Parts: sequence; C-alpha cells; structure tokens
Amino acid sequence: MSGNGAVWGRVRSRLRAFPDRLAACGAEAAAYGRCVQASMAPGGRLRKDLCAQEFEALRSCFVAAAKKTLTGGR
Amino acid sequence: MRLQAASPLEMLRLTRFPPQWRRPPAAGVPAKNVGFRKVASGVSSLGSASPRSLNIFDRDLKRKQKNWAARQPERIKFDYLKEEVGSRIADRVYDIARDFPLALDVGCGRGYIAQHLNKETVGKFFQTDIAENALKNALEMEIPTVSVLADEEFLPFRENTFDLVVSSLSLHWVNDLPRALEQIHYVLKPDGVFIGAVFGGDTLYELRCSLQLAETEREGGFSPHVSPFTAVNDLGHLLGRAGFNTLTVDTDEIQVNYPGMFELMEDLQGMGESNCAWHRKALLHRDTMLAAAAVYREMYGNEDGSVPATYQIYYMIGWKYHDSQARPAKRGSATVSFGELGKINDVMSQGKKSQ
Repeated sequence: MSGNGAVWGRVRSRLRAFPDRLAACGAEAAAYGRCVQASMAPGGRLRKDLCAQEFEALRSCFVAAAKKTLTGGR
Repeated sequence: MRLQAASPLEMLRLTRFPPQWRRPPAAGVPAKNVGFRKVASGVSSLGSASPRSLNIFDRDLKRKQKNWAARQPERIKFDYLKEEVGSRIADRVYDIARDFPLALDVGCGRGYIAQHLNKETVGKFFQTDIAENALKNALEMEIPTVSVLADEEFLPFRENTFDLVVSSLSLHWVNDLPRALEQIHYVLKPDGVFIGAVFGGDTLYELRCSLQLAETEREGGFSPHVSPFTAVNDLGHLLGRAGFNTLTVDTDEIQVNYPGMFELMEDLQGMGESNCAWHRKALLHRDTMLAAAAVYREMYGNEDGSVPATYQIYYMIGWKYHDSQARPAKRGSATVSFGELGKINDVMSQGKKSQ
C-alpha cells in the first residue's frame, strides 16, 4: 500500500500528540475515570454509554486542545 | 521456517479470522500482502493430529514485528525490560556451581542474556530467534556466539547437544508450549539445565482492565488486547510433562512507571511485544484509546501523574535426568523420625562424628 510509510507516519505523529492533549484535559479525564470506576462498585453495572456525558466533555476538551495546538503554532 | 497449511480446505478455515482487517500499517509493517495472506502456522503435523496443537498466535506477524522493532533507530531505549530480565537469568546461571561449554538461547532477541555472562561460565553460545534483524543487530558480548534463525517450536539441533538452555521472555508467543518445552528437553544433555523466564498472568493487568472497561463503556463489548499468559501451576505441569526433573518456579514483579497509557503502548510496540493473536481486533478506536487512558490514570495513576505497569515474570528451572542427580529417597528408608526435629543439632553432629 504505502511504500514510503507516509500514511503510517501521519497516523503516528497524530497519536504522539495525544498525551499532551490529554494532559490539558486532566479534570475531564479524571471525571470520566471516576464515573467508570464508580460503576465497578457492588451493585453497579457498566454498560454502553453509561458515562457518555463525561466522555463528551473529555472529547470536546480534547478537540479544543487539538485546535489550539494546530492554530497556536508550533 | 514455514509450514504450508495441509490442504486448501484447512487454509480456508484458518483465514476465517478476519483476512481483510489486517492490522493497519500503524504497526509499522509495510502492508504488502493485505488481503489473502499465506497462512504460516504450526498446524498439526502429518500423523500426530494432536488436539493440543493450538494456533493462537500469528507467528509470521510476530516475526515481522520483531524484525521491525530490531530495525528501529532508537531500539536501545526499549531494551530496559529485557535487559533486566536477562540479567536476572544470568544471575541464576551464575548461581549454579558449574560451567557450561555449550549453551543455547531460545528466542534471544538481541542477546540480552549473553551479554551478562562471561567466557568462564559459558564456553560457546548459540543464539536463536525467529527475527533475523534481531540477530544481525545483536549486542556486544565477550562469549563466542553462533546465530541461528530458528522458531522456538522447531529447534534444528540434535538430541543431547547442550549443557544449558536459556530463554528469556519469548516463550509466551509460542503456540504449542508443551512441544517447545519438549524440544528444549530433547536438545539438552543429560544433567543439563533449562532456565527460562516468561510473563505471568498479572502482567499488564492495568492496561488490560482499562481497555476492557473503556471498550465496554464506549462500544458495548470488549475483545482481548493482552495475550493470555500461562498460569504458574500449568508451568509446573508443562515442565514435568516435557520430562524435566527438579523443577523450580519462582515469580518476580517489575513495576515500571510511564507518563501515560500511550507511552506504555509505544514502548510495548518498540519492544516487539505487540499483539499478534489471531483473534485480536485489528482496530482500536481513538475514542476508546482516549477513554482507556483516562480510566488508566484515574484507577491506577500515581500521585505524580505517572501510571504504573506491572510485569510479572515467572522464572523456571528444570533439569534433564541423569543418574548422578539426587532423587527422593525410597519409602520406608527413613533413619530419623520427625519427632526428633527439636534435637536436630545433636543428630547432625552425631552424623558428622560417625563419618
């Protein structure tokens, strides 16, 4: 497919930016994590989209951080 | 070494595992053979239709992953775990009050064990691995070595050849572990010893749990991302079945802290330890990865923001039978009773006097 690894290089560089953007969204990530962890308590049951709200907050923060790094210049 | 599938029907059956969803080039492997790929596997050899010839791992892919990892420009920075386990195995070799003229390293990688041993203990070292790049980029060592490209399940050596066989962190990718251990037993000389290290069941349990929870919450179900490891009791049984005597299995836990889940996954890939199970899901959604990283940090994170990853290592030592080895005494041959345990000092000094 890609002989020179251009696609792979792009995907990897995008993935490499993930940790920084996640670091910028520490509070939302912690909230999501707490929600998932709470479902593990006795009596709770983890199912799809149980913490959808928290995840949406995390995701929008993440996307905002991505836009900032893209436009804010490197 | 490759085995073609025994018949076209078998080839069809084995490629039912998603052929069109090959792991995306993100694995760093040129996807030249996307689509119908050749099935290279340890499918039961003609004659012995053994039910135990499992086919969990794609050995071809594992070879490519190891080749890729050994070719990386920064491969040294991923060596830390294998170096550490290699040095602990070398410690165990030194603990044995013997020297070994001829030794074999099964699944050697770039030679993590050999570089900790010296010429007095091991005379000559055979290094085998399935990845040629690992053998080509081997680390410096003072012992004379011979590199052989071989699969752990098909060792190309005669019976009773080696005084010592070592294996560090490579047997957990083998499909037919009983057979691999039998092969090791076969190539050992009588009174030879095998010292191996494999990953244990608790390895990367944080990663496994975080991915499982995140996938359940995001996608409604989950698929395994961390390989199945051998349980410690099974190890003992396997070694016994392969014919080893005087078994020792002990366990060790190494905890490494990472800045986050993504760095951990990158390091695992750099070590050549990416998933290669046939039933793996080829795609990990970015949302799921993000969710898993958040869960990982919240559930397991340290105070300083880093996250730990646990590597549980099982070390096993087994000997090949030889007449000179100590054997359990016959029933009824006891000369002292357990009741005299309190007076054991007297008993022992009496024994010494009579000698």
